[in-house]
Amino acid sequence: MSQTAAASAVVHESAVHDLVLCLADSKRLLGMRYAEWILGAPELETGIACASMAQDEWGHGRLLYALLKDVTDVDRLEHGREPHEYRNIEVLDRPTADWFGVVAINALVDQAITVQLEALTDSSYAPLKQRVAKLIEEERFHSAHGAAWLRRLAAAGDESRERLKAAVKDVLAPVTRWFGPDTDAARALVDSGVAAASGSALRARYLECVAPLLEQFGVDAASFANPDFGGFDETTRRTAGSAPDATTIARIRGDKNRMFLMD
Amino acid sequence: MIYEVFARKSRGEPLRHIGNLSAPDDELARVYAFSTYDEEKWFDMFVTPRDRLIEVFNRRERIAGTREGA
Repeated sequence: MSQTAAASAVVHESAVHDLVLCLADSKRLLGMRYAEWILGAPELETGIACASMAQDEWGHGRLLYALLKDVTDVDRLEHGREPHEYRNIEVLDRPTADWFGVVAINALVDQAITVQLEALTDSSYAPLKQRVAKLIEEERFHSAHGAAWLRRLAAAGDESRERLKAAVKDVLAPVTRWFGPDTDAARALVDSGVAAASGSALRARYLECVAPLLEQFGVDAASFANPDFGGFDETTRRTAGSAPDATTIARIRGDKNRMFLMD
Repeated sequence: MIYEVFARKSRGEPLRHIGNLSAPDDELARVYAFSTYDEEKWFDMFVTPRDRLIEVFNRRERIAGTREGA
């Protein structure tokens, strides 16, 4: 292998690692946010849906972490990291304030992850390609659940509509930013065939998916096409120096279950 | 609104009643059915509002009716 090819393989490997970790961490945190509503959701059936989605997300998280077993210590990834080492979508950092908040992440964050996964269905990185279709298939009802609730809340009177609109706007800004800027690294991911699209192309695809939902309460998807990337760390896909809530991470790491961990 | 849920395990198998759920509209009924009855691998699944099931006959009432007639 020439020096340039070796260097590009290293870049390639670290780009795949970063991408997988951002997805795995986002799924783990998203699962936690759904789990927080298994009890106390507005209907028994929607609580069951939260339980089902939480389990899907944790299963997917585990599967994605396992992809990194050749390059890193997966046990440490799952149980040994500090909050600032997590790379989840920022909007999942803290528990959702209310049901409007969980509906907003269900409709908009789940869809964002699906759009990112869809760009990997033909990935040149075979282990990813082999698993992605299963993940997309399993989560196809997640955004349908979010969309159905979004429509219901948008039609439930002015107060409900306004609260939902505020929750949606809080989620949209960080989520559209999450797809990242069009940098050399983002282009390299596409050029090497790891992903079919990145950066603004993925963001455009995402906004196209969610535009019909946003129209219902007069939010223009196009206004989110050019996020402000000030302070954005491309590797972690979040604001440099930010971190999820420490209590959340203690639960996710399973701090209280350490004695049950088996080799 | 109450919805009845039907599913089958494989193509050609008769549709089987597997349960019911409560949902405010058809769209949520679909997602609730999917997440509530996902413990088995179904081939296909359907929901219908309970009040859209049209009764053809009902043996219990027929017997009761016979008694009344007797």
